[in-house]
Amino acid sequence: MDRLIAIVGLRLKREARAIAGSRGRTRGVLLALPALLLFSGASALAAFALVRLASRTEPELLLPVLSALATLFGVTWALSPLIAGIAATETHDLTRLLPYPVPLATLVLSTLVANLLQLTVLAQVPPLLALALALGGPQRFPFAFAALALGLLLVVAVGQTVGLLLHALSRNRRLHERAVFLGIGLGVALSLLPILVLSRGGSVARRLLLTLLERDVFALSPFAWSARAAVHAGRGEGLAALAFCGAVGLALAASVGVSTLVAQRLYRGELDVGEVSTYGSGRARFRLPGAIGALVEKELRVVWRDPRLKAVSLSGIIGPLMVLFVLGQGAAGIGPSQLFAVAQVAGLGAVGANALALERHGLGLLLGFPVDRLALLVGKNLALVVLRGPVIVSFAVVGLVFGGPVVVPAVLTLLLLTQILASAADNYLSILFPIPLPAAGRDPNAPISGARGLGAVAMGILAMTAALAASAPFAFLAWLPQLLGEPWLWTLTLPLALAGAAAVYFMAASGAARLLQRREQDLLARLRGEE
Amino acid sequence: MNASPAAPSSDAHAIVVEGLTRVFRRQTAVDHVSFRVARGRFFGFLGPNGAGKSTTIRMLTGLLRPSAGDAWIEGARLSGDLIALKRKIGVLTEELALYERLTGEEHLLFAARMHGLPEAEGRRRAQELLEFLSLADERGKLVVDYSQGMRKKLALACALVHGPSVLFLDEPLNGIDPVSGRVVTDLLRRLCARGVTLFFTSHVLDVVERLCDEVAVIDRGRIVAQGTLAEIRAQRELSGSATLEEVFLKLVAADVRREDLSWIG
Repeated sequence: MDRLIAIVGLRLKREARAIAGSRGRTRGVLLALPALLLFSGASALAAFALVRLASRTEPELLLPVLSALATLFGVTWALSPLIAGIAATETHDLTRLLPYPVPLATLVLSTLVANLLQLTVLAQVPPLLALALALGGPQRFPFAFAALALGLLLVVAVGQTVGLLLHALSRNRRLHERAVFLGIGLGVALSLLPILVLSRGGSVARRLLLTLLERDVFALSPFAWSARAAVHAGRGEGLAALAFCGAVGLALAASVGVSTLVAQRLYRGELDVGEVSTYGSGRARFRLPGAIGALVEKELRVVWRDPRLKAVSLSGIIGPLMVLFVLGQGAAGIGPSQLFAVAQVAGLGAVGANALALERHGLGLLLGFPVDRLALLVGKNLALVVLRGPVIVSFAVVGLVFGGPVVVPAVLTLLLLTQILASAADNYLSILFPIPLPAAGRDPNAPISGARGLGAVAMGILAMTAALAASAPFAFLAWLPQLLGEPWLWTLTLPLALAGAAAVYFMAASGAARLLQRREQDLLARLRGEE
Repeated sequence: MNASPAAPSSDAHAIVVEGLTRVFRRQTAVDHVSFRVARGRFFGFLGPNGAGKSTTIRMLTGLLRPSAGDAWIEGARLSGDLIALKRKIGVLTEELALYERLTGEEHLLFAARMHGLPEAEGRRRAQELLEFLSLADERGKLVVDYSQGMRKKLALACALVHGPSVLFLDEPLNGIDPVSGRVVTDLLRRLCARGVTLFFTSHVLDVVERLCDEVAVIDRGRIVAQGTLAEIRAQRELSGSATLEEVFLKLVAADVRREDLSWIG
């Protein structure tokens, strides 16, 4: 017990020092705290009101709905490293504690206890209190709350098990990368689910959900058992409540057991790192000519082989398509004007691509080459155009379906010209506000949220406005034939618009290249966190 | 940055450093460092951890802006056209910045292309370097799957592919097995014999003693000695048989504790 307390104490002390020792993290916590409190309070109020309402109006639905919600909560919490890229439950690295004569189960338990004191876990307590009060009233409140708290413990324990399993999976890079790619896909799908369910096209999804609720399928989920125990406790059905609590206890023991087993295999090195595969049987080559060509090819290969970058690149298609989908739900449907507007907005999405800073460690290498800085920026921006190929293709298809072949060139021109001008604006953002590197020993590709600060947000808005303003005259040329009802005019205006945008792009990119040349050493220092 | 008024023009010197200084926040990492390295010399730059070796290399290779001072590499001024300077140098940094999602061969071809080598020449050099550094069998693997030693060899190959006239090598032998280490040191010797200037840092002092014509020792950001081993021995009035390790410990005033631990019998 002493060792358990010592290890938990050590972890909490390290976390507190890490927050206190970094201005960025302190600011992050200070900013997150009110939001977390607000969210926690709002959730508590909503939980109380909804459960009271459901108890009065649809009492038979209370168990299935709470079971479904508890399952959703548990699954998203446990899979948060895959869905959101941030683990709701931390999986502490046990390597440094392994040399000490401490049983592995104690180490696993210490992580579980330390995780219970995390802010994100503590923020769940007010909603659970409100839920328990709504379910049990003042008299049976303690029993209902005990059941719900047991459920929260299970969620955190399963989160830890999943974290360890992912850690084990990461021993095999290929498997790990596939899991990350699928996880990001799952996250995107889950984030789109509400829109699909609420839209007209989501009637099938709604029917499916209702069927699942009617059949009470979620009762099978261990995450639901504590909610069911709390409902029964609230109704004074002691035996049923105890049975469900017992089931949760068993699930909890199983989860801790699996965690210990995985940790044991993981840290003894029994989990194989797997075969390392090679790329291509023939000789490697860069097919595109010159430094710009090599840079574009390098970008494409790196992005395609990195699951995070690939997923982010492919998910860029989702936003514009969802907007078009929502517009398509309206009575008027999608006309050329809507297509044009969405294409322009999609093109502006290049602001924030931040091509230079995403090089991270590689930027020192890239800037070490004696290549004209304009060529570097053009290569980076061209690669972005290619990487956004799926967006371009999807606009071509949507344009073809909803506007016919006549409007497709205009839609694509608008998309391209706003994109290249947004890229030109983004170059400045990338040079002035790089993303700092993670600390030594950390994953160099790990996302660092908020690291670019509020200044970068303001600059981002400024860059987007600048891109919009710079593209406006050329966008007008693309819109004009549509406004005049003279489609033949596109044969004149579209090449003119593209040529004009290209000229402005080169002027802006040349300025950015000069800025880069002046500031490249400062940029590298900032990326290393030295300034 | 204070620009030096006169660019020291010296045909004999590949590296000329004058008053190079770097301050991080309020801490001076490199403090008015000045030295010259003759063309074709194997120059060892030594110092304890945190003495300012890597910071000096990063400044000399244009990757970090000096707070003051200037330098000339093969006549290219550090505060002038950095691209011209980078054409003349090859750099192996301690951090080994490599593109992890390229294969070793792709990486080398990319480096060759970025240095402006024609396709066929770049390919020829890349193949030779891969064979020479025993990486040919691993050419198709992604860099992310390379061991530390393989990464070091690949980074060295990238630094060599364009045939630089000055090579900056920060701990090039760290993490390399003895066989590859011997191959690398033989290669460096041959490069030096052909007139390439080598600026070399290492903690393995017997290797430095064997390879380097001349050394400079930096401690707490300042150069505390420079010259051949014999010259430094003479300056510090050390015996003619003193090894580089003994000279180094003397120069950095290392406190080598010899007290016993009370609980060890």
